[in-house]
Amino acid sequence: MKKWLISAMGVLSILSAGQAFGIEGVRVNGFLTAGATYADTAPCQGDVACTAGPGRGLVSQDGNIANKVGFTNDSRFGLQISAKINSKVDVTGQLLSRAREGNYAMKANWAFVTYHLADPLAIRAGKLKLTTFLISDYLEVGYAYPWIRPPQEVYYSNPISTINGLDMLYRVNFGRFSMLIQPYYGASSGEQALVPQEVIGAVPETVVNPQTGVGSVQPSPPGTVAYTDFTADSMYGINVSGGTNAFTLRAGYLKTLVSAPAFGVSDKTATFSSVGGSMDWENIVLYSEYFQRKIEQGANAAFPDQKGWYATVGYRIGKFLPNVTFAKLEDNNNPVGQGYGTPLAQSSVTGGLRYELGTGADIKFEAEEVKPLDGTRGLLIGPLPAGKSHVMIYSVALDLVF
Amino acid sequence: MARLLKKLTVLVLVVVGFSGMMNAANAALAIIGNPANPLEGISAADVAMIYLGKSDEFPDGRRAVAVDQYRHSPVRAEFYRKVVGMGPVRLKSYWSKLIFSGRGEPPRAVGGNEAVKRWVARHPDGIGYVDGKVLDRTVKVLLIVP
Repeated sequence: MKKWLISAMGVLSILSAGQAFGIEGVRVNGFLTAGATYADTAPCQGDVACTAGPGRGLVSQDGNIANKVGFTNDSRFGLQISAKINSKVDVTGQLLSRAREGNYAMKANWAFVTYHLADPLAIRAGKLKLTTFLISDYLEVGYAYPWIRPPQEVYYSNPISTINGLDMLYRVNFGRFSMLIQPYYGASSGEQALVPQEVIGAVPETVVNPQTGVGSVQPSPPGTVAYTDFTADSMYGINVSGGTNAFTLRAGYLKTLVSAPAFGVSDKTATFSSVGGSMDWENIVLYSEYFQRKIEQGANAAFPDQKGWYATVGYRIGKFLPNVTFAKLEDNNNPVGQGYGTPLAQSSVTGGLRYELGTGADIKFEAEEVKPLDGTRGLLIGPLPAGKSHVMIYSVALDLVF
Repeated sequence: MARLLKKLTVLVLVVVGFSGMMNAANAALAIIGNPANPLEGISAADVAMIYLGKSDEFPDGRRAVAVDQYRHSPVRAEFYRKVVGMGPVRLKSYWSKLIFSGRGEPPRAVGGNEAVKRWVARHPDGIGYVDGKVLDRTVKVLLIVP
C-alpha cells in the first residue's frame, strides 16, 4: 500500500511539472481509488477443511478480500494521456497500477489511435477496452459510478477486459436523444482468468507427473486460487446504446473462439449477451443489467455457462447518495457431469453510501451480505462453515479524478 | 476652463450611460460566435449538445469548437446550470465517464470573460459564453440567456 502510494505521488509530481509547461494538444487525466475491506467470516475455518494453506482466512475467490482489514482489493491508480496529432487523428493511452497485482507495476491498460472520418463517425485501432456492460469502459474509475465496485455477480462474468483490434463509433442524434453504435473486431491474448477451483480436480491434464509425463486427477481443496492463461480469437460484437443526459439504455452481443491450453480447450465458441439501463433523473439514481454467457461443451469446465443480474436504487440527498443493490448469479443450464463446469450461484444485498467531497472526489461506505446458493460456494473461496449462510463484507473507499 | 468642464460633463455622461448599459446587461449571459459565423442565432439545446461533446457542429452543419471559462469562474457555473442543466458534480461525473472511455474531452478552458471573447474573435468556428457586460463588436451574439 505504502509503496503503491509513493509511486503514485511520484508520478503526480512529474505530471504537475509537465502541466506547467502547458503542452498544446496534450491532455493528462488521472484517477485514484484507495480502499479497505473486511469480511466477518472466512470460509476456510472451523469445520471446513481448507487444507490449502494460502486459503486460510481468505474470503473472496480471488483471495483479495479476507477475514482481516486489507487494502489490495480496490486500491488502484490510473493515468490517461491523449494527444491530438491533427484535426482528424488523436492518440490515447491509459496506464493502470493495481494494488492487487503484487508488484504494483504500471501496465498499459489500453492504447489506441482514433481517426475521425466525419463528424459522427470515428474508427479506433489498437488495444481497446472491451465494452460488455454499462460501465466496462471506465471500470477502474470509481468516481464515475455509485458503488465501491460494480456488482460482481454480473461484472465478474467476463474475464476479458481489453482486446487488440478495432472498433467503430457511430453517433446519431435526434434532438436531445443521442445513440451510439459500436461494432468491433479483435482478439484477446495474454490475459488470465480465475477458474472454478472445483474443476482443477476434474481435468487430468492439470497435474502432470514430470517423471512419467502422465496426468492425474488431483482433487483441489477449497481455498485454492487458480488462474489459467486463455486467449479469445476472432472476436466480433456490437454495442448499441442510447439515451438523454438522464437516461441510458444499452445492449451488447459478442461471439468469440476461446482457447485455454491448460484445460485442453481450443477454439470453442463462446457467446456473451447483455442488456442494461441507467437513470440519473431529479434525485433518483437507477442501474440495472442482465447477462448470459454460453460456451461450447468442453470449454465450460473452466468457464461454466452463467447468467446474472443486478438492480441498484439510490436517492441523492444533497452531497449524500444512499443506495441499495440486489444482485444474483445463476447457472445457465450448464451441462452436468465429469469435465463440465461446476455451477456457481450466489445472491447479495449491498447497502451503500456515497458522499461528495467537493468536485472530483468522493468517499463511499458499503456493507454487503453475500449468500452462496444451491449448495455452491458462489464467488467465495470455499464453502461456508456449518451454520453460516452468509458473509458480511464491509468496505470503504476514497475516489479521485483529476 | 469652460471647455474642460464641458469635456468632463460629456465624460461623466458617457460613464453614467455606459454603467447603465452594463447594469442592464449584467444579469445576462451571452453565447457568442465569431463575426464570420453566418448563424443568426442558436437554441440552448443545440449549445448544450456542443458543450457535452454530443455534436461537433453548429445547426447548419459547420464545424463548432467550444471553449470553457476557467474552472472556478462564476460565469461557468451559471452557464452549466442555466443552459446545460448540470451542476459541477454531475458535470464532473459526466466527463469522467467520457474521458476514461476514450470517447471525448471537455471543451478547453481558456480563461475568463475577456480570454474567451478574444479566443472566439480569433477562431471562425469558435463558440463561447461570457457575461453580457463584456460584449463588443469583436464577437457575434448567438443567444442571450437571461
